[in-house]
Amino acid sequence: MRVLAIDTALNACAAGVLDAGAGQVLAEESLTLERGHAEELLPLIERVISRIDGRFSGIDRVAVTIGPGSYTGLRVGIAAARAIGLAAGAPVVGVSTLSGLLAPLVATGERRIAAAAIDARHGGVYLQAVAPGGRTVVAASHLSLRDAVRFLGSGPVVITGSGAAVIAAEAIEAGVSVDLSLAEVTPHVAWIARLGAIADPAHALPKPLYLKGPDAKPQAHARVARR
Amino acid sequence: MRVLGLETTCDETAAAVVSLSDDGRGHIRSDEILSQIAEHAAYGGVVPEIAARAHVEVIDRLVERAMDNAGLALSELDGIAAAAGPGLIGGVIVGLTTAKALALVTGKPLIAVNHLEAHALTARLTDGIAFPYLLLLASGGHTQLVAVRGVGDYVRLGATIDDAIGEAFDKVAKLLGLPYPGGPEVEREALKGDPERFALPRPLLGRPAPDFSLSGLKTALRIEAERIAPLSERDVSDLCAGFQAAVVDTVVDRTRVALRAFRETAGHPTALVAAGGVAANQTLRRALERLARESGLRLVAPPLRLCGDNGAMIAWAGIERLRLGLVDDLSAPARARWPLEETGPRP
Repeated sequence: MRVLAIDTALNACAAGVLDAGAGQVLAEESLTLERGHAEELLPLIERVISRIDGRFSGIDRVAVTIGPGSYTGLRVGIAAARAIGLAAGAPVVGVSTLSGLLAPLVATGERRIAAAAIDARHGGVYLQAVAPGGRTVVAASHLSLRDAVRFLGSGPVVITGSGAAVIAAEAIEAGVSVDLSLAEVTPHVAWIARLGAIADPAHALPKPLYLKGPDAKPQAHARVARR
Repeated sequence: MRVLGLETTCDETAAAVVSLSDDGRGHIRSDEILSQIAEHAAYGGVVPEIAARAHVEVIDRLVERAMDNAGLALSELDGIAAAAGPGLIGGVIVGLTTAKALALVTGKPLIAVNHLEAHALTARLTDGIAFPYLLLLASGGHTQLVAVRGVGDYVRLGATIDDAIGEAFDKVAKLLGLPYPGGPEVEREALKGDPERFALPRPLLGRPAPDFSLSGLKTALRIEAERIAPLSERDVSDLCAGFQAAVVDTVVDRTRVALRAFRETAGHPTALVAAGGVAANQTLRRALERLARESGLRLVAPPLRLCGDNGAMIAWAGIERLRLGLVDDLSAPARARWPLEETGPRP
């Protein structure tokens, strides 16, 4: 099965094609990008596809990061993935950025708690953590720094993601042993493809995983009183 | 020639297929519109993040439905068009990215359409009129008078210096406790009301440049409303009638001035065209009808469904551009701001 993986949820704009059976990445490209994903992504996918055979008919599945991450960024990737799936007749699956970050730690048979944390700004993080063997310690959620550290427990913890450093600082203060040496800022697109290959299309829907509401409040204050 | 058009610049997600027949006329083959009114109603206006979230959930399904209803496969299209702005950027990005991905996979040309240009060209889809014509474009986000001289050839004669007309209608509705969207509600109330009970201003009336200003009128209405509050149903109807009458008088005056300016610079218009959601207002239509008649012109206003945002107008603008060879590449930017004058052939 050939999987086209797309990631624009954080500060990368990336795509790659994995031959899941052979476990081989056939082509990939990743740009580090704070903004402009909407302009860069489709030309990038075109380049990646041209490096295999230039056709989408050989793509059996599309995998895309659904967040948490930049709202606009993840919508770029999801809109592209769903449209590619529609036009190429391929199923589309969603993979969370946190799972993508955790996957390489879990795959190496890590004996400590493995956590992925993405900086959510305003003193918050998106956090997911698993124990050895894959048992969930913290399901993907939006947490304050303090709660994040509390939920990670007494450690030791190996942590990755853009929020790793801030969590580590807080955790070390609380006396928890934290290993930052394996931290990555964005998931590797090959891992998105691998997780996408084993995902169940009926459940891993390509829908945004915001983990936060849209931050809007109903307004009634402008109204003139009525009888 | 057949083109798919996607529209996601505000609170409607839309996809449509339009074809061009040999006689040069356009035909709407399918026209899907999904309004987000329910999602935004509690906020009394469009919330950009809520709009963007809603677009990405439904756009691919709407494309599928538009293709099914047109009885066509994506491979049978000649081009894929999307509104690339101006508008709420989060939504624009969703529609444009979808179109780019469809264009890439199918190998069809992409046309990044200016949303205002699509409104401006709708009269050629519905009535097949020739250039040049005078366009009054009035919606919740835009209010301008434009000399439409050709595809990508627009001269803005005047525009609002503050609120758009549709925006003013929405704000008045909110002020008076009417539901969202406010335009049709204010129009309905105005039918029952006395337009002369409140003396509301006609901003910029008689000024030589055909610009608009709505904020003073809105403030005058608020002062009147607060003066007599709490408001009875009668008061609300009369305020709406007074407001609508003031807007109609202003629009007719400003359009008359723009017609004069048009004749001085662009020759004889073939028609007076009204487009945008505000063009659905029946009182305004009748007033523009009278103005057109006394100016020896025909008023062309699209059917109500094509006044608001829709995919058919994007598909049609895509056809108009595609047949002139005006296509875009996959890095075409999504633009929050994009003046009509910047839609000409790119160097």
